[in-house]
Amino acid sequence: MSEVVIKNMKKIYDGGVTAVHDVNLEIKDKEFIVLVGPSGCGKSTTLRMVAGLEEISGGELYIDGKLCNDVEPKDRDIAMVFQSYALYPHMTVYDNMAFALKLKKVPKDEIDKKVREAAEILGITQYLERKPKALSGGQRQRVAIGRAMVRDPKVFLMDEPLSNLDAKLRNQMRAEIIKLRQRINTTFMYVTHDQTEAMTLGDRIVIMKDGFVNQIGTPEEVFDKPVNLFVAGFIGMPVMNFFDGCKLLKEGDTYYAQIRNAKFKLDDFQQRALKQNGQQPCDIVAGIRPQHISVGEGELEATIEVNEMLGSEVNLHARSDKDEVVMVIPTVDLKTDVSMGAKVKFTTQPKLIQLFDKATGNNLIWYDKASAEANAPVCAKY
Amino acid sequence: MKQLSREAELAARRVDVGHVTCMEALRSGGPETKASAFVMGLGNILHKQVGKGLIFLAAEVAYIAFMVLSGFHNLAMLPSLGSVEQQEVWNEELQVFLYTKGDQSILILLYGVATILVTLMMFWIWRGTLKSAYVAELLDKRGSHINTLADDLRGLLNENLYRLLMTPPMFFILVLTILPLVFMICMAFTNYSKIGDHLVLFDWVGLDNFMTLFDGSSVLGGTFWSVLGWTLVWAFFATFTNYFFGMILAILINRKGTRAKGFWRFCFVISCAVPMFVSLLIMRTMLQPEGAVNVLLRNLGLIASDASLPFFTNATWARVTVIVINIWVGVPYTLLQLTGVLQNIPGDLYEAADVDGATKVQQFFKITLPYMFYVTTPYLIATFTGNVNNFNVIYLLSGGDPVTNLASTAGETDLLVTWLYKLTIDKQYYNIGAVVGILTFVILAIGSLLTYRNSKSYKEEGGF
Amino acid sequence: MKKETTKSAKAIRTRNNVLIHILLAVLAFIWVFPVLWVIMTSFRAEKGSYVSTFFPKAFTLDNYIKLFTDTTILNFPKMFMNTLVIAIFSCLLSTFFVLSAAYCLSRMRFKMRKPYMNMAMILGLFPGFMSMVAVYFILKAVGLTEGSLIRLALILCYSGGAALGFQIAKGFFDTTPYAIDEAAMIDGCTRWQVFTKITLPLSKPIIIYTILTSFISPWVDFIFAKVICRANADQYTVAIGLWKMLEKEYIDNWYTCFAAGAVLISIPIAILFLKLQKYYVNGMTGAVKG
Repeated sequence: MSEVVIKNMKKIYDGGVTAVHDVNLEIKDKEFIVLVGPSGCGKSTTLRMVAGLEEISGGELYIDGKLCNDVEPKDRDIAMVFQSYALYPHMTVYDNMAFALKLKKVPKDEIDKKVREAAEILGITQYLERKPKALSGGQRQRVAIGRAMVRDPKVFLMDEPLSNLDAKLRNQMRAEIIKLRQRINTTFMYVTHDQTEAMTLGDRIVIMKDGFVNQIGTPEEVFDKPVNLFVAGFIGMPVMNFFDGCKLLKEGDTYYAQIRNAKFKLDDFQQRALKQNGQQPCDIVAGIRPQHISVGEGELEATIEVNEMLGSEVNLHARSDKDEVVMVIPTVDLKTDVSMGAKVKFTTQPKLIQLFDKATGNNLIWYDKASAEANAPVCAKY
Repeated sequence: MKQLSREAELAARRVDVGHVTCMEALRSGGPETKASAFVMGLGNILHKQVGKGLIFLAAEVAYIAFMVLSGFHNLAMLPSLGSVEQQEVWNEELQVFLYTKGDQSILILLYGVATILVTLMMFWIWRGTLKSAYVAELLDKRGSHINTLADDLRGLLNENLYRLLMTPPMFFILVLTILPLVFMICMAFTNYSKIGDHLVLFDWVGLDNFMTLFDGSSVLGGTFWSVLGWTLVWAFFATFTNYFFGMILAILINRKGTRAKGFWRFCFVISCAVPMFVSLLIMRTMLQPEGAVNVLLRNLGLIASDASLPFFTNATWARVTVIVINIWVGVPYTLLQLTGVLQNIPGDLYEAADVDGATKVQQFFKITLPYMFYVTTPYLIATFTGNVNNFNVIYLLSGGDPVTNLASTAGETDLLVTWLYKLTIDKQYYNIGAVVGILTFVILAIGSLLTYRNSKSYKEEGGF
Repeated sequence: MKKETTKSAKAIRTRNNVLIHILLAVLAFIWVFPVLWVIMTSFRAEKGSYVSTFFPKAFTLDNYIKLFTDTTILNFPKMFMNTLVIAIFSCLLSTFFVLSAAYCLSRMRFKMRKPYMNMAMILGLFPGFMSMVAVYFILKAVGLTEGSLIRLALILCYSGGAALGFQIAKGFFDTTPYAIDEAAMIDGCTRWQVFTKITLPLSKPIIIYTILTSFISPWVDFIFAKVICRANADQYTVAIGLWKMLEKEYIDNWYTCFAAGAVLISIPIAILFLKLQKYYVNGMTGAVKG
């Protein structure tokens, strides 16, 4: 069983700088967890604390039920793939992969077997006698993965492994990692700043910013149920449209969202949730994803400034009063004129509108206040 | 967000020798820890670290034994530096005069200083053992794992590798660099010198030596100020002539049109492949009144057949000669160093300048020079420092000659360091030599600090 | 029109090239000249340090022969052996000290790290041999200033402060990515194993540089050697020997031999230095990686 439990883990550097505040996370056996966030959010630091490369300033780390705060990296039964691959330049590929096993004094033929097996899976058998500098970026990365695989670790840690590759190679390797995951069935902890990687690779995603965990959830959850403004703006391409200065109205027992000159009656689920929270009318920031906008009719109006025809869909950059609105419309649904300069009407379905409290940035529906106060992992409420 | 309670924070804190302080150990430690301040190793023994505790105890015993046997005596003799002279005593049995062993101030000083250093080291070790006792106590209370001696030894190969690897070099540095230095500095405050016959027994004289040197009217004082002046002039010229010539040569060789770059560099480098003292001695003989250069000039008819150019016999000629020869000695080195830096200047800077219409000279002043200065500022400071202390070139080349003032102890090309050498080795004015050394250090320290702090590269930290 | 301007631009460039090459040739000759002169002198048959003519009138190998056979006053072979022994041992010791210190300072973080680096910088500002006399007294007190122990004393002198010259080696270690150390630690190495199995194999250039520079220094230093050897002629190093040859009482007989001796020790040192040149150049811009 290789589960990883992180309780209240924090990292404080000498000089008082807190890089990571209170991370709470339970990674189930064989789960693929992705830590994602902008630069400096603490995701790499968290990973390195799990690896044992950084001291844990506070909290506890359990790997497979064992408290590992003061355990050396080599005794934690983890393997790591570095962003720069960190292959040993003076050793051949074979020796790179065999190094850890040699240190453990594993018999030679067993080492040979394991190394060749891993090389076979990764398709690098023909490079075994080469040195790292004779390999391309993609090949080096496979060697780095192979070096980690050979150790049969309980937890596989990967620190932005695709960041050093060009765009095309990145897509290719992403698919390879998914295939790899199916072959080596173990727990993965993966760090990246690219939300696309996070969404495609992860079973669950941990979104971090400025050392705080903002949300933990499956890709669908973080897409559909973002708990705050940051998560909503971070996940999803193109970025969600935010409308500042909107209001949540309550007439009688019914809630309405006032977005500019349009008044939306929220749907049943939203009504129930807001009522359960005892939500009072307030100022909100409304969020609508570009993919959730339909053009042609509606109370909102905008003028198209840029029109990007992408084949199956069209990206529209429009201006509505002071707001910039991005819309992604499938070409088949296009009935109105969306050329540059055209004026269009647009709207959306109420259930697709995200409501964020203007003061705190938290999502009125999905943000779970109670569990946040109890310091539990931050998930969407429902 | 819930805050961890204070106890929980403390409980979560790392407990090891690097994270506790001595004061803490004394204040919050248990009785056994406080007792460890007197009996080193007690706390460790009581908390299951018997091996380590015994080692600490042995160190304490060794130190006390040392102090009792000779340490205290050494310290007691320090203020007076001994006063018993060697005496002749008539020995009845052997019918000869025997010499009783008198005091030797220099050894007394040495032993005294050594004892002080040993005591300081012991103090440092004592602090470490106190912290170690406290750590053992805390870990024991917590129920955490307490390192056995085997664990600690293994740790020396791992997280404490620096203790293992830094100790032997540090020991030698202490004995062979720091102890002698402190020793010499102490000498500056005594009258250990041939003057007044104070070579065997001498006393403390406080700042008298410094006063003498600063007093321009005394012989030594006058010498000091003039030597200081020349040293600074020399260091400045030596550094910058080599720098500029080296840079220009580097540029000439490095530019696109030059062929056989390797060959040219080889020619210049071969002159520094020859050991410096060999080439300097050769230069010296070549520039003697009957040396090769004068002979050549006579043969070429440039000077009269019995004349010789006064390379080392005229003060100004000597100073210029020394600087010029130093160029010969030093340019190959700067050539090598600067070539590397030059090759790292991005080529497109120059291409852009070409397109913009800058001439080669303009490019030199606006691109090459600023870049070089920025990168090589630390190098320039180090070279300037090195030149102030450049014993070899002056001593081997001119020997400090010419000596125009027979009463003075220094020649016209003497630097502070060569003067120091003469004072110490030739004249045995050890105390004055020590003072000169200290003053040289002070000058350099101030100079380096100021220049480094003010240099652009320090201020901007990499923002070229 | 265009053809003319390119032609004259080319002409200017050619003219510049020619002028610069002439200048370089002159300068190169000035620089190489003394070296040539020494070599000539070492083959010169006339004795003494005064020459009436520039080129030697007669050539001979006697000077070289004399160096190795005439050991009554100045025993060159013995001095050579002394220096060789001292150089080998001090080079081993120095390299160990420098690499250890540089590695610890580059890779590990400990409380005394910054103080140590500051101390090294401050100690470097003192005139190198200000402590020479003091070192002599210390060695005397320990009993290392008589007889064959003098060689041990010299070895200690040359290598004792070696760890203060860690800067270049540390600069090199700094350029090796730390991620490799981390990967090795995760793979199961102790820090000592990282040092021996990973860092050192990757540091061949700097190891060679350190070995060669510390090997060269006993051959060319004569101040320390002179102070410590004083009158013990059988413990002299080559540097003292050559210096002695130029002293007034010996110079007439030994001047040409001095040249011969100079040539003899210059050859190996020159070869070593030329090998080192590569690393010297890169020393300031970041190290050569293997």
